[in-house]
Amino acid sequence: MSIRLTWCLAALLTIPLPLFAAVQDETEVDIQVREIAKTLRCTVCQTENIWESGAPLAQQMRGVIRDRIALGHSTEEIRAYFLSRYGDYILMEPPKHGVNWLIWVAPFLLLLAGGFFLYKEVTHWVRDTPTPPSQPEPPLDDQARKRIERELES
Amino acid sequence: MSKGWQLTLILCLLGLFALFYQGLWGDPRHIPTVLIETEAPNFEGPDVETGQTISLDQFKGKVVLLNFWASWCYECKVEHESILQLHQLFKDNPEFVMLGVNYQDELPDAQKYLKEYGSTFSHVRDLKGQLAIDYGVYGVPETFVIDQQGKIRHKWVGPITGEVYTNITQKVIAPLLKAQPTTTVTS
Repeated sequence: MSIRLTWCLAALLTIPLPLFAAVQDETEVDIQVREIAKTLRCTVCQTENIWESGAPLAQQMRGVIRDRIALGHSTEEIRAYFLSRYGDYILMEPPKHGVNWLIWVAPFLLLLAGGFFLYKEVTHWVRDTPTPPSQPEPPLDDQARKRIERELES
Repeated sequence: MSKGWQLTLILCLLGLFALFYQGLWGDPRHIPTVLIETEAPNFEGPDVETGQTISLDQFKGKVVLLNFWASWCYECKVEHESILQLHQLFKDNPEFVMLGVNYQDELPDAQKYLKEYGSTFSHVRDLKGQLAIDYGVYGVPETFVIDQQGKIRHKWVGPITGEVYTNITQKVIAPLLKAQPTTTVTS
C-alpha cells in the first residue's frame, strides 16, 4: 500500500507545477484593452505596439484606453481618439485609403511586374537560342552488337 | 531587353533612389502632425512649484506657448536658456502666456531642476500622461503655440535653439501678437 502511495506521489511530482496554477481570468475590459492596444503603435519604440511595449508612454496609453472603456467609449471611438492626436502614424496597419493603397498594392504589383519581366526574358532567351541540327543515329558496329547480344543472353 | 523595358527599369531604380535619398537627408524629427489648426485640448493640473491648479481655460484669448519638458531630458537642458530668453522677450505682452508641462517626471526631480536651471513662468504637472497624449506628444522637448482663438498654430519636436528659436519668435509668436519683439533675437 505504502509503495503504491509512493509511486502516486512520485507520479504527481512529474506533472508540471504551472498546471496547478490558478487561472487568472481576464475581464472583458482587459480583453478590450488588449485588442485595441495591439492595433496602436508605440510612438517612442521601434515597430512595437503599445500592448507589447514597456515604455512609460505606452503604459499611459493603455491607461487612457482603460479609462475610456470605463466611460463607455467603443473600440472605434477610442481608435479614432488616438488617430485624431497622432494621425495615421499611430496605427500598426496603415489605413486603406488614398496614397496608403500604394503600401498595400505595391509589393504585389512589383511581384507581378517581376514575374512578367522574367517570363519575357526567358521566352526571349529560348527563342534566340539556336537549336542543334538533327543528326541520324550512328549505326551499331559489329563489336557493339555482339556485346549487346551477349548481355541479353546472359 | 527591349528599350521600353530598359527605360521602365531605370525609372523604377531612380524612384527607389529618390526615396532612399529623401530618407537619408530628411529631418527625422519631422513627424507630420494632425493637430495644427485644431482646437487645443483643455487641461488642468497642479503647478510644479506651488501645487495650485492651472487650467488652459484660464488663458482664453491669449497666445499660449506650451513647452513639454522633463528633468531627465538632456535636450530640455540644452534649450532651457533659450526658453527663459523667449519668455523674457514676450512676458510684458499681456496677450502672451508661457506654460511648461512637466512630463513623466517625479515631483522632487522637477522641482530641483527648476531651482537649479531657473524658472520665470508656471509649470503644470502631467500626472497620468493624459495631457501629453491629448497633444499627441512623442517625447520631450516639444513645444506648441496656441493662438487667441484656442487653436494650435505651431508644433516643434526638439529643442528651441538657434534657427528654430528665431523662427518661433519672429515668424510664429510675433505675428500672432501683432507686434515685433522689442529686444534683439539671439540664437
